[in-house]
Amino acid sequence: MDHHQISEGVDDESEVFSERFLCCVCLDLLYKPIVLSCGHISCFWCVHKSMSGEQQSHCPLCRHPYTHFPTICQMLHCLLLKLYPLAYNRRELQILEQEKEMDLFSPQFDVQAWSSQANQVSNILADSVCEGLCTNMEKTVSNSFIQNHGTVISKPTDCENYEAMENVTDQVKNGLLRQQQSGSSKQISVADVLCAACKELLFRPVALNCGHVYCESCIVNQDEQMLRCQVCQSFHPIGFPKVCLDLCNFLDEHFPKEYALRRDVVQLEHVNLKNRKHVNPTACESKTSEEGEKLSSWSFHRGAGCDYCGMYPIIGDRYQCQDCSERIGFDLCGDCYNTNSKLPGRFNQQHTAEHRFERKCTNIICGPVRLEDDSVTLLMAHISGGLEEYDRSREVPHATFANGEDEDEQDGSEPSSLPSSI
Amino acid sequence: MSGGIARGRLAEERKSWRKNHPHGFVAKPETLPDGTVNLMVWHCTIPGKTGTDWEGGYFPLTLHFSEDYPSKPPKCKFPANFFHPNVYPSGTVCLSILNEDSGWRPAITVKQILVGIQDLLDQPNPSDPAQTEGYHLFIQDSTEYKRRVRQQAKQYPPLV
Repeated sequence: MDHHQISEGVDDESEVFSERFLCCVCLDLLYKPIVLSCGHISCFWCVHKSMSGEQQSHCPLCRHPYTHFPTICQMLHCLLLKLYPLAYNRRELQILEQEKEMDLFSPQFDVQAWSSQANQVSNILADSVCEGLCTNMEKTVSNSFIQNHGTVISKPTDCENYEAMENVTDQVKNGLLRQQQSGSSKQISVADVLCAACKELLFRPVALNCGHVYCESCIVNQDEQMLRCQVCQSFHPIGFPKVCLDLCNFLDEHFPKEYALRRDVVQLEHVNLKNRKHVNPTACESKTSEEGEKLSSWSFHRGAGCDYCGMYPIIGDRYQCQDCSERIGFDLCGDCYNTNSKLPGRFNQQHTAEHRFERKCTNIICGPVRLEDDSVTLLMAHISGGLEEYDRSREVPHATFANGEDEDEQDGSEPSSLPSSI
Repeated sequence: MSGGIARGRLAEERKSWRKNHPHGFVAKPETLPDGTVNLMVWHCTIPGKTGTDWEGGYFPLTLHFSEDYPSKPPKCKFPANFFHPNVYPSGTVCLSILNEDSGWRPAITVKQILVGIQDLLDQPNPSDPAQTEGYHLFIQDSTEYKRRVRQQAKQYPPLV
């Protein structure tokens, strides 16, 4: 990634965004970002569209395998909206148009609620003048003003003494007030990028499958058990997530002093807890490959994903909602059906607890029938490695397409989750 | 199908290429007879690397994108019967990064594809042959192989 804040971004009426927030799939500004377990970020639809409905999916950037469709990272969503309001709103309109065309919708957020919560925190931060952290925050806030918007707001960049510090704090408070009044803000503060656990500036951020972001050091893996989010209590099914480096570097660049401070603190803690080491990358590697093997036994529901944990495709039992009328449908995997089923869907479905479910068994008879499908034969041709055979089968990509559609009509369910039909 | 991101991505690829691209390369979307631009097919030129037998050649390559792009890689084709161990008789390039099941990642850009193919020209992969002639000469008769490569480079002089 480029080290320049303003590098090869795309112009949005003079708004230039950092290349690190460029989605690697659509090459535009990230919209409704999702952080994969390998730490790479992509847009909601870009992740969904690049997932496979019949086997484990791979990160569009590094091919790291994963099996669950993660939830949008709301913190990043709000951060990007604040950083690049023009470009982000343009993206919103653009995606909304596409969604209407598809008749599929991504989840909606209450950004107002989120940012007022962040403002509260920043007020508290601003009040605690004595903490060195605060001074640093002001400095970077003023820096970010200049960096992001070219509009220079006169603020002292160096506050050695308390008087100057208080001065700045007032200005920041005023700024916050202004921001609350106008409803939209162009400045970001530490309060926008806090860890869900320690409520301090994120240090080496990692995102869980549910979209909540923690410091790497704040996630404690209790005795080899599945990670669980402290905020929403949902399980993180993919092993220990990797640090989101793009966000990490952004924080380091944007809040250099606070970040350095956090580094010192965390490292100190780390020394104290040296024997409690949680990262076990080999364990999660082996786990995912195991999942991959499972899929090849056809015991999965092609193109159907769990709306609670995000498992896609669903392996094992599948429960399909009989009352959700949205085109995408609403499904749960066996585990989630037995534990949680009261959350809204991942595509803005209006699912409620009163809805009835039908259990769908994995139909083993489906296996050979689906083998006839072009996309599978294509896959087989690839594997068998016949030179010309491969070449020819590549020549008829549309056959896969048409076939996918036919099947949709027969099934009458979930056309949208088939990758080829999106 | 209209909800696909293929066209949006290709428009961004086009923008990024116009802003900056490697020297000597050409990549532009096809223009149809009625004057409209077809983003799904790109006509490109790959220059042979200087200092190699491929130098002096400007090889035409066509990229065919599907609606599933960038989930699926584009098909990259040289003219039929192009001489190279890893090019099928139909002209299709056989390269790991262009194979959906091995090396392809949606993050790979058009720039990276073209540079990757330029690298492949002088560094064929004998473990993955796609044509008999090029493969056999490469393995058995390197003098004749080099002669054929230089001859082919002369067949594709610079366009301008």
